[in-house]
Amino acid sequence: MSTDTDETRQRLKAAVHYTVSRICQNNGESHRREFSRQVIAAIAETTFRQCDIFAKDLEAFARHAKRSTVSAEDVKLVARRSTALTNYIQNKSEELAQEQQLKKKSTGKRKSKDTEDDRE
Amino acid sequence: MAERDAEICFKKETVSKLLTSFFKEDKTKLSGDAALLMADVLKVFVQEASVRSQKQAESEDCDQVDIEHFEKILPQLLLDF
Repeated sequence: MSTDTDETRQRLKAAVHYTVSRICQNNGESHRREFSRQVIAAIAETTFRQCDIFAKDLEAFARHAKRSTVSAEDVKLVARRSTALTNYIQNKSEELAQEQQLKKKSTGKRKSKDTEDDRE
Repeated sequence: MAERDAEICFKKETVSKLLTSFFKEDKTKLSGDAALLMADVLKVFVQEASVRSQKQAESEDCDQVDIEHFEKILPQLLLDF
């Protein structure tokens, strides 16, 4: 592996580590339990490797449907193993679809509203 | 608290770069929707990991969540995802 891809990988790991530690700290605060630094590093590393598995699955699912672009449907397949997660992702995906429809409708209107606000 | 929970999430760019770097073929791409949904999946994964290790620490009456607590919940966590 070249040094360039190595560096991006390190950066990605750092980004994952940062978000993981924030989520853990947030959880720790609400339950008054601290996470040791090792745990946070271990969760980050696990998440990173889990991403590898997810990515390979997504790619395989997309190819199975003769697509080269991974879509929301493929993500739903990744989450198929637990019912709770499937429902959660299903809801999120519907929310996303609704938001996008709203955005399409309101972009024109919002612009005119913004200019009105400026005048006030 | 619930509001802050919602704020902490993986960035869409991070997720998309992360997944793209793992793809075997270069021409495979990730759609925007898929990246956002994967960010959610990863957030749930991390939250499950942290909450389950916390529960494990609680059941052992420990104040700090340590690596052995995470080790104990890891197999079931990986089976669930």
